[in-house]
Amino acid sequence: MSFITWQYLLFLPLVLVLYWQLPGRGRLVLLLVASYFFYACWDVRFLALVLATTIIDYLCALSIDGKKMGTVWVLLLALLPGVWLSGCSLFLPASGINWLIVAAAVAMGLAFFAGHEVIWHLAPEKRRRAYLILSIGFCLSILGFFKYFGFFLDSAHNLLTFMGLQPNRVLLQIILPVGISFYTFQSLGYVIDVYRGQSPACASLLTFATYDAFFPQMVSGPIERGRHLIPQLERTQVFSPDYLQDGICLILVGFFKKVFVADNCAILANYAFAPGTPLNGYWAVLGVMAFAFQIYGDFSGYTDIARGSAKLLGIDLAENFRFPYFSRNPSEFWGRWHISLSTWFRDYLYIPLGGNRGAKWETIRNLGVTMLLAGLWHGANWVFVLWGAYHGVLLILYRVAPALRFLGDEKSSSLGRGILAVALMWILTLAGWAIFRSANVHQLGLWLAALGHWQAGISLPWASSALWLLIHIAPLLLLQILTWKYRDETSLGHLPWPARGLIYTLMLLLIVSSTEHDTEFIYFQF
Amino acid sequence: MRITKCLPPAFFLAVLLLVLGEVGARLFFAKSVSGRFEYGYSLNAGFDECPDGTVKLIRAGGRRFHPQSFKKHRPPGTFRVFVIGDSVPRGPSFKGGYPWLLGQELRERDIQAESVNMALPGYGAQRCQVVLRKALEFEPSLIILHVNDSNKYEDEREYRRSQEFKSWHPRNWPMKVFIFRRLYEAKMEKVFWRLVPEQVRLKFAVNDPDAQVAASEDANEVKARMKVARETTAASVALAQAHHVPLLLVTQCRLLTDGTRSFHFEDHGLDDLGRSLTGQGVYHLSMKEVFSPLPHARSYFSDSGHLKRSGHLLLAQAIIGKIRQAHQRLGLTAFNIELQSKSY
Repeated sequence: MSFITWQYLLFLPLVLVLYWQLPGRGRLVLLLVASYFFYACWDVRFLALVLATTIIDYLCALSIDGKKMGTVWVLLLALLPGVWLSGCSLFLPASGINWLIVAAAVAMGLAFFAGHEVIWHLAPEKRRRAYLILSIGFCLSILGFFKYFGFFLDSAHNLLTFMGLQPNRVLLQIILPVGISFYTFQSLGYVIDVYRGQSPACASLLTFATYDAFFPQMVSGPIERGRHLIPQLERTQVFSPDYLQDGICLILVGFFKKVFVADNCAILANYAFAPGTPLNGYWAVLGVMAFAFQIYGDFSGYTDIARGSAKLLGIDLAENFRFPYFSRNPSEFWGRWHISLSTWFRDYLYIPLGGNRGAKWETIRNLGVTMLLAGLWHGANWVFVLWGAYHGVLLILYRVAPALRFLGDEKSSSLGRGILAVALMWILTLAGWAIFRSANVHQLGLWLAALGHWQAGISLPWASSALWLLIHIAPLLLLQILTWKYRDETSLGHLPWPARGLIYTLMLLLIVSSTEHDTEFIYFQF
Repeated sequence: MRITKCLPPAFFLAVLLLVLGEVGARLFFAKSVSGRFEYGYSLNAGFDECPDGTVKLIRAGGRRFHPQSFKKHRPPGTFRVFVIGDSVPRGPSFKGGYPWLLGQELRERDIQAESVNMALPGYGAQRCQVVLRKALEFEPSLIILHVNDSNKYEDEREYRRSQEFKSWHPRNWPMKVFIFRRLYEAKMEKVFWRLVPEQVRLKFAVNDPDAQVAASEDANEVKARMKVARETTAASVALAQAHHVPLLLVTQCRLLTDGTRSFHFEDHGLDDLGRSLTGQGVYHLSMKEVFSPLPHARSYFSDSGHLKRSGHLLLAQAIIGKIRQAHQRLGLTAFNIELQSKSY
């Protein structure tokens, strides 16, 4: 179920009404059922993966904390994903689940059970580490298989062919489960926090399962930390009118960004990056600018709706975007763009690798590895790896070459220098989006080649399309200017209430003026 | 907890402004709103029947009639012609379309005539039939039905919308609000279509009219819409015959070029259709037959289907010729003026 469907606009109020009527424990049950229903609306089969991730990480974290569940319970839980899949095969014959898939799930459950039981008998410190490896191993195996197996198979085939060999092509059609990268990373982050002693293991399976599958942020983030979300789920919330005010405001801003900004910019971006489109320099620039606002409106809009939906339940989700296109340098950009992911990579990869504590070359290595993997996280495609590498190079240059500090840092007080730095960073960001949006390296080459051709006859006239783009980004920029001072993209509370009322009205009108271009959120595919 | 305590004044103001806008639109523009959500399938939208017996054609319910008026009951001795069709008979302007020029030509021939342009842009055979049903209430002497096949998709889309709007389905709720719907349509027509190049829109057929244009190139689509045009037009002819109202079918043709100076006309089989329906009180005029003998036929067209004013004038005179042939059966006892030669 997508946020921008009428189903969600009915689902959410229904959940809200029931949620605030139920007592503490009942609310968690409701949230878990609602979250699983929300996810099952996409594909009921893949709930087995959500269950598997939840069970593996719950049991491992508990064991890391020195608390072990009874053997029979562990076995029953380990077999639950297999049971779910066999239920799908029995009651949903069209689901394509056959005995082989069920057997694989059961075998995986038994393997986990065996590993879990064996590890418990190790010495305490070894045991903690082994449970961490077990959790990471299983979760990344699931993620790797569903997201990257086909990609690596294909890449290996291409490499062998390039080397003059003739390998047999193995084709494996694997459907990518929605949101798998998000909930896997969230769950893994929790286990690592427990291992580090930064967070206690969650004793309640119900609470942990709700944390892992919390519907507002499950499929596209923000990637929440256990220590931030779990205590909120455990606390019995008392309704406050602020929840309603803030939640509705966030949802409205989210819809505005997605429906008015992103979906309308997508029309131009999709044309410019479609195979076979004749591009000149104007359209190459217009297309990538349209994509920059499309992906920003799309993803930050999703985040705002997610935060708004959670806020209505009395739960605060992490901020994910903070005026990223006003960044003055690459480091600042990653502190403003997809904050929950960049901090995840910082805390669980960059810092464990050594961060910037070692020699210069070690910092360069750590930044490079982190950004390459951050790029790959976005999808099984070489352009994402290239995009990660590109941003890695920008970060490395910014860090190791003091001469490049002219891009400006946050402490810089000169307005002129700040504007210049923002403009330069904007151009660098656009170049990154061109890599990101290209379907493959060949298309990226065509886009770059178009920058060398500025004759009008090659492509369509661009001026009216540029006006279309401007019409759709100007209100967004105006909103950002209004909220800039308060460091929160959705903060309108400082304005007098009549002005806010007019802004809400205007936003609603802009949303409904664009309702027929509905498209799915981009980040669902990641 | 009371909802008034939960929501701040800003939300109330937003809701109030929207409610006031909607109520105001529905109160002060009630006529314009009427039939709006029937998408051309309302019998009465656009017809304002005044107590004094005058019928006004207005822009209402999505019908963009040229504003005109006539008496509900045909004045004695008046030859009343209603022209029903799509953007082609509607013309480049009210006085540039053949319905107006036909009235002028008839009056120049001392015939007390009123010719009413009831053509609407984008109307296909199905919605033209709805207009025909209403037009038959106003005692026409002759109805000219301009038969085209290019608006089937739009007819179907609007029919689908009209049915959807009758349903309870939540996806229709926002668009049941008049100001929302009007804003959406205004943005689509005044901003989207004007600013975004057709190639960009067609590449992904980002909305229904674009999908229509894309589909218009498809052979199966052409065949399917011909079938609908044929069946619906036959039903419209039967309807006019049942009311004993003479009907002239003007069949559309398209001017096709190969990018050079050469061109030819294509009628998609509409001429055969028109001929096959000719009978008691039903006449036929082929646009292809009117224009194809002319050496500079291309100069009468503004695009592949629409005519310039000169083309409309030529068509009006061809219709005069048809009326002249059948003037006695049409009740015109004196039709004594020969066709004048005019420079187009």
